[in-house]
Amino acid sequence: MPLPQEFSDLEPFVVDWALPTRAQRYEARLSKPFDELVNFYDAVAPRAEEAIAYLKGLDIDDLADDATTLLHLLYSMILVSYAVNVFKQNRIPDSGAAFFEMVAEPAV
Amino acid sequence: MLIGTAVPRPRDCTFSPGDWEILGRYWHPVLFSTDVADTPVKARLLDVDLVVYRTSKGVVAARDLCMHRGSPLSMGHLQGDEIVCAYHGWRYGLDGKVNHITNEAEFFDLDKATLRMPPVHCEVWAGFIFINLADDPVPLRSFLGDGLLAIESYPFEKMTQRYGFSTRINGNWKLAVDSVCEWYHPPYVHSRFIDPDVSKAEKMVPPVDSYHYELFRPHMLTSVPGPPPLRAREPGTAGPARQDQRWVYKLFRAGLFGPDDVPDIGLENAGADFLNRGNIASWGNDQFWLFPNISVQIWARGYYITYTYWPETVDSHIYEIDLYFVPPANAADRLAQELVVDSTIEFAMQDVNTIEATHSALKTRAQNTFHLSDQELLIRQFHTVIRDTVGACQSANSTREA
Repeated sequence: MPLPQEFSDLEPFVVDWALPTRAQRYEARLSKPFDELVNFYDAVAPRAEEAIAYLKGLDIDDLADDATTLLHLLYSMILVSYAVNVFKQNRIPDSGAAFFEMVAEPAV
Repeated sequence: MLIGTAVPRPRDCTFSPGDWEILGRYWHPVLFSTDVADTPVKARLLDVDLVVYRTSKGVVAARDLCMHRGSPLSMGHLQGDEIVCAYHGWRYGLDGKVNHITNEAEFFDLDKATLRMPPVHCEVWAGFIFINLADDPVPLRSFLGDGLLAIESYPFEKMTQRYGFSTRINGNWKLAVDSVCEWYHPPYVHSRFIDPDVSKAEKMVPPVDSYHYELFRPHMLTSVPGPPPLRAREPGTAGPARQDQRWVYKLFRAGLFGPDDVPDIGLENAGADFLNRGNIASWGNDQFWLFPNISVQIWARGYYITYTYWPETVDSHIYEIDLYFVPPANAADRLAQELVVDSTIEFAMQDVNTIEATHSALKTRAQNTFHLSDQELLIRQFHTVIRDTVGACQSANSTREA
């Protein structure tokens, strides 16, 4: 799953974070050491604005595989941002055992 | 009270008799009209299996079984206005009565005129298919009343981009409804999002008199203020990356109150006259409560969320959150939706924990009275309507038994 050429510096994060479903992304957020969440966030965040601009120029209903991989990295960045920026830990501190299953999500 | 007669609970019903009495008499949105095209659709409401299908006269629904030997009609197909059983080809007409019995002469003493699919009441409103299991419900529109009928012109049908969530909550469903009927809790339950310093968070939430409430029994509405969208900015101006959620909101141009680039959903303006009826200057959303167990939250920034509470037992319920947007025009819009969705769920998980903890505490029966303030108006109405409804159900039952 290569990334578009311009974003090849993010390749090391593809295996762990370019995940197609939210359930997989949430599982990654909960299961990985917190430091890995921070490393991932710190690597993607500086490239995010450029990545958004790159993807915005494409047809969202006809994304190439490499663009889809990049989009999945940004979804993961959003999901870990709460952990890194708000909670300073993987889980929501006040959420107890609560967890939502995702029962419907868009194809892309 | 506007109630019909509850149908008997199914065997192995997961709903307690008390909840069944309430839920079984009311209208529930079960499907979208667009879900039902040219094949029968299986649906389930309150542990009752249903078949829903489209005819030349509109959408109809029935209990999902054939009068022959109980095979589900949802496995069959449509032939004009008739539904055909997949098992032996029996056919039912628009009135629900059997029209055709294969090899009819082979049967003994069959009274064909009395054979019909057990009907359920089904009406379509605002693109939602509502079903009521009671024998004699008030018509849907009478039930909704003027307070809700006005939102029919909202373009629900354009919001086909769905993000659906479900969880089991170890707490009574009515506590969950209480928890989102007031805007008293955010600086405490959600302080980490607002400001970890609660004394600052208290000052950042809108003051108590900035909300608008309407009661139209048994339903109700709260309108809530919210921040205006961020102004458009040139690409590349989000600034250096920071470990700061406000920077993330700026980067993706979205937050808990929606995307900053608001899609055109075809309303004249965000304050179409059926929305923001209290003319809140910086309006965030309208939360319409449809008694007994669903709310529809229409946001100023062009999307809506439904929250549904399905009791299972006294001590648990299934909580469903469904967010609906217009299809994103591009990846930037899609990412903004992702941020709105994730923010909504992070907040909701904090609310869920509060419900479970409260339920555990109340089970001790050390406290049996709630003290409700002025701004908890909707909780007061909800409790009153529930109490009156249960009372009316009990007296209807005792009349029937007498």
